[in-house]
Amino acid sequence: MSISRRRFLRWLGAAGIGSTIGKSAFAAGNKHFEGYPESYGILHDITQCVGCRSCEAACNKVNKLPVPDRPFRELSVLNEKRRTTATAYTVVNKYEVPGKKAPLFRKSQCNHCLEPACASACFVKAFKKTETGAVTYDPSVCVGCRYCMIACPFEIPAYLYDEPLAPRIMKCTMCYPRLMQGQLPACVEACPKEALTFGKREDLINIARERFRKYPGRYIDHIYGETEMGGTAWLYISSVPFSEIGMREDLGVTPAPELTAGALSAVPVVVGLWPVLLMGIYAISKRKEVIFQQELDALEEDARSRNREDI
Amino acid sequence: MNKGKHLLRRACILAVSIVFIYCSSLYGSGQVSAVSSGARADLITLDAMKMFGKLDKAPVEFLHDAHTEALAKNNRDCTACHLKENDRLFPKFKRTADTDRIEVMNVYHNGCISCHGEMRLAREKTGPVECDDCHREKPLNSSSRQPMGFDKSLHFRHAEAQNKKCERCHHEYDEKEKKLFYAKGKEESCRSCHKAETKDTLISMRLASHIDCLNCHLENRSKTTPNGPLDCSGCHDREAQQKIRKIATVPRMDRKQPDRVLLKSVQKGLEAGSENRNRMNVVPFDHQAHETYNDNCRVCHHERLKQCNDCHTLSGITEGKEVNLENAMHRVDTSTSCQGCHGLKQEDKNCAGCHALMGKARKKADDSCVKCHILSVIEKEEMLDPDGETSLATATLESRNRVNGTFSEADIPEKVIIKHLSREYAPVDFPHRRIVNTLVNNIKENKLAGYFHTQDGTVCKGCHHNSPASKKPPHCGNCHGKTYDEKNPLKPGIMGAYHQQCMGCHQEMGITKPAGCTECHAVKDKPIVSRGL
Amino acid sequence: MPDNTMAAKKLFTPFNVVSGSIIIAGIVITIMRFTMGLDAVTNLTNDNPWGLWIGFDLLVGVALAAGGYVTSAAVYLFGMKKYHSAVRPAVLTGFLGYSLVVFALAYDVGIPWRLPYPFLIQQGTTSLLFEVAGCVALYLTVLFLEFVPAPLEWLGFKKARELAVKLTLALTVLGCVLSTLHQSSLGALFLIAPSKLHPLWYSPYLPVFFFISSIIAGLSMVIFESTLSHHYFADKMDAAHRRENEGVTLGFGKSASLVLAGYFIIKAMGIAGGNNWHLLGTSYGLWFLVELLGFVALPSFLYAVGVRNRDLKLIKWTSAWTVLGIIINRLNVSLIAFNWHLPSSQRYFPHWMEIAISVFIVTVGIVVFRFIVTRMPIFYEHPEYMDITEKTASTEAIP
Repeated sequence: MSISRRRFLRWLGAAGIGSTIGKSAFAAGNKHFEGYPESYGILHDITQCVGCRSCEAACNKVNKLPVPDRPFRELSVLNEKRRTTATAYTVVNKYEVPGKKAPLFRKSQCNHCLEPACASACFVKAFKKTETGAVTYDPSVCVGCRYCMIACPFEIPAYLYDEPLAPRIMKCTMCYPRLMQGQLPACVEACPKEALTFGKREDLINIARERFRKYPGRYIDHIYGETEMGGTAWLYISSVPFSEIGMREDLGVTPAPELTAGALSAVPVVVGLWPVLLMGIYAISKRKEVIFQQELDALEEDARSRNREDI
Repeated sequence: MNKGKHLLRRACILAVSIVFIYCSSLYGSGQVSAVSSGARADLITLDAMKMFGKLDKAPVEFLHDAHTEALAKNNRDCTACHLKENDRLFPKFKRTADTDRIEVMNVYHNGCISCHGEMRLAREKTGPVECDDCHREKPLNSSSRQPMGFDKSLHFRHAEAQNKKCERCHHEYDEKEKKLFYAKGKEESCRSCHKAETKDTLISMRLASHIDCLNCHLENRSKTTPNGPLDCSGCHDREAQQKIRKIATVPRMDRKQPDRVLLKSVQKGLEAGSENRNRMNVVPFDHQAHETYNDNCRVCHHERLKQCNDCHTLSGITEGKEVNLENAMHRVDTSTSCQGCHGLKQEDKNCAGCHALMGKARKKADDSCVKCHILSVIEKEEMLDPDGETSLATATLESRNRVNGTFSEADIPEKVIIKHLSREYAPVDFPHRRIVNTLVNNIKENKLAGYFHTQDGTVCKGCHHNSPASKKPPHCGNCHGKTYDEKNPLKPGIMGAYHQQCMGCHQEMGITKPAGCTECHAVKDKPIVSRGL
Repeated sequence: MPDNTMAAKKLFTPFNVVSGSIIIAGIVITIMRFTMGLDAVTNLTNDNPWGLWIGFDLLVGVALAAGGYVTSAAVYLFGMKKYHSAVRPAVLTGFLGYSLVVFALAYDVGIPWRLPYPFLIQQGTTSLLFEVAGCVALYLTVLFLEFVPAPLEWLGFKKARELAVKLTLALTVLGCVLSTLHQSSLGALFLIAPSKLHPLWYSPYLPVFFFISSIIAGLSMVIFESTLSHHYFADKMDAAHRRENEGVTLGFGKSASLVLAGYFIIKAMGIAGGNNWHLLGTSYGLWFLVELLGFVALPSFLYAVGVRNRDLKLIKWTSAWTVLGIIINRLNVSLIAFNWHLPSSQRYFPHWMEIAISVFIVTVGIVVFRFIVTRMPIFYEHPEYMDITEKTASTEAIP
């Protein structure tokens, strides 16, 4: 292989630099984020929820969202299943469960995951998992790609599609500004049954287990959100299987960032190795050309010399 | 060129036909015509081969009543499929014992398929002959079979029908002679010996009950007296069970059981020189009254008709499955213990309003223990003879107070205005005395409630909880503060406390009015705003 | 007078009329999009945030523009000089394709003037979309530099042109690296949502599937595009171009057959790895089989038959079929198998205006393509640069 030393060193250098460019991604390592210490969460006790929609009203007021056509007092709204929208950070849904005389109600909103899929997906870092536990959104950098909506396994973020020049994502903020003032999230404060309990996430898990112990047979022995998608700040306890109240039980315990860590970790490897590989192929193909040319010349020479002999 | 086109065409046809065959096989298999009747009480899963190892094919769904009906149409009876042993029909299919794998399989295959095959030749509607039509991976029907048993009423009717000849059904087994015999005065429930699975010569409850019950019903079929059913759904269908005639007041069964006893830690007398282990206050127990509270003896005597502490000793022995006496009497998660059964009674609508919210965890020891443990510890010297014990028990039981203690009407406020949270809603005009009176009235006739609520003010603690009984209990707001108390995360705030207590009670008691927000507190003039702002 | 009508006849050809009206409609809808918001022109919802513009314009667009790196790698790295005439058209297709992708993105993204934010303001490096954005932006630059010799030749800037050509090898390598990265990352975008993508399409190997299928797309697209070009722009082509066409068709057809076979195998491995064989019996499974057997296995076979029998017509039709298959695959992953679990009332179908904009963008691409190939040395070698081209295009000689 006849490459000049200079050229070889050049390629090596390029490969070396190439492998340093590249993002550091934790490729399925043993790291496991269990939440910031002292971070808060909310425990939603579904056996206590009566579907009064006070939480929806409070959220609407605090976040200055447009007042809906049907007032929050109107409970017939609950006859249809709803999801969060650009004007509703949280909704309560009614579930008729076989075997239960009364319907069950559940409040749904951003679950403020410990390792949020939206934050992992956002390519301008518009989402941040704050130390309070709240996952906040910065509309001033958002480009509007809506990848966060694809990524969220709970189908929570909503988009202001009818805003032509300044659309943005709309999602529950866990009342982060209020938390900073030492106040409770508006929904927690509004709930008359205190079906929402605010507190440190570890405390909430203990409270939930305490309720399981105190009222055996009332609850399903599982705290939804303890491990789902790597853990969420919103925890749910229920008297019926979670799939019967519209919560997916097939999401697994892998946090979303881990799902893409493998693909991301391949980037620096490709950047480092591909140039070497491709230049190698180039060198081989060049070499073959040279050899071919040499063989051709040799044949020519051979023919000429034979010619001369004949003559 | 031609060759290529030819090859291409062939290949395409082949590919398309492969895909077509594949897809049609997938979509076709689900649609095999088969009758599905939904849920049936006569569904028997034929999986006898399980005892010989892992099943090669899926167990077979067998619809027994359908077969008896079909056979009856052809004037055939039980003997078409069942053999007789000792002059009695044996419930297994065309055999009296499970010998080995191949033989049992052949019994089924030959028995079923031959009959189906014959009927098919006769062009009659019959069952399958193909392997997978019986051995279905996905079952067509589901079982709605309800377990069958005797309660007091049904047992009484059977005893009457047999002219109180208990030996007709009750027997014991002599290990030495290896035979059954009747032991008068020692009659037990069938299930004390006959368990779920056959063990050597001790046949399973399933076999035993079908041999005994069905053969007797067969014998009586010709007689004019009312007879028990012979088909599966006659016993095992839920609706049929509800139609069984119930005697309103069943006379007490005569098996020489005690009327009133003293429950001690160690029942039998002690030898001289040994330690007295009766260090616990003694419990006088009204056995006669408790017989009337339950449908059958097995609720408490879940294995045999013996005293509890024969198997459940102080430290626990193998016969008692290592459950010691303390657990056997007090565990709340089972219906066979005293506290467990009493806990179940607390789930009654009239009780649940207060008791459901108190939680069902094991209470710490407090004054309520002496409600049962009335008599002080018996020293060895004080051991009485059985008659003496009975009279002591009777005397103590009859002297108990069983009236709910309440304060005088004047001391119970008629109305309480709950106003210190009032923001969007007007203060609540709470009809306090009316509610207290209703609650007390509901449990007036309840002896169990009466025994435990004797102290004045105990009933009040249903709402005025976590503080001693008193004429002037503290306000809710004395303990319950704002919504989130960092130091006390288990305790709800005042708003949650009110709503959980009031609405929780209504929910448990099945009270539908008042409903919604405004039936308890009217909305103030201000439009609805969110709380806390 | 005759000149005017002649000019009019030349201007109002059927193609011009049709494409002109599409473009006018597109401009109208564009104005609507930016004055009334996405709601007015799309059927996007909160459950379906990505629609036809992402599924088709972005995903299909990037896949079909892959001919650029595949062809230049074949010619400059693998030394297959007989495909040299295919390089410029492929690079042009690639460059136009990627430009249109960015153009289409401006429609779909909520605030398009903030598109530079991930590079300038805040880098969301945990996101595969950041990776896609970065690589696409860089690759667009690479493609531009690879394409730029043609307009430079047209404009007569010799020195600049020579400089540009000297970069060819480096650009080719860079182009391959960047293409590998962003083609696979477009597939990897969906890794984050396993609960929303049907298990037959979701696989940890999604990035590999997308990368390999982009090679297939590139090879097929070159054949397809050259077929159309040879039909409509034959008068612009020089002898070398016409001569090499058969070789390109056969050679690329052979490679496509092999890569398709390999792709089929890894797809089958993907089903095995997820233990999803039983899903093939469902209705989605049937559709998956249509994609796998009809648009992967079948074209692989047809390409092989065509190459063996030197049946150019078969290969060309197969290339069109394969391009359709790539479109189906990308639409499957992004729109059809995505949100498969939602009830049909919550599923997405594009608004006619979304379809109109996609057609508009493709039309703009064709019109610009036509403009460029009818003026610049794409289908022929500029006579002034012919000798130099032959020397420099095949990179420096190695001692």
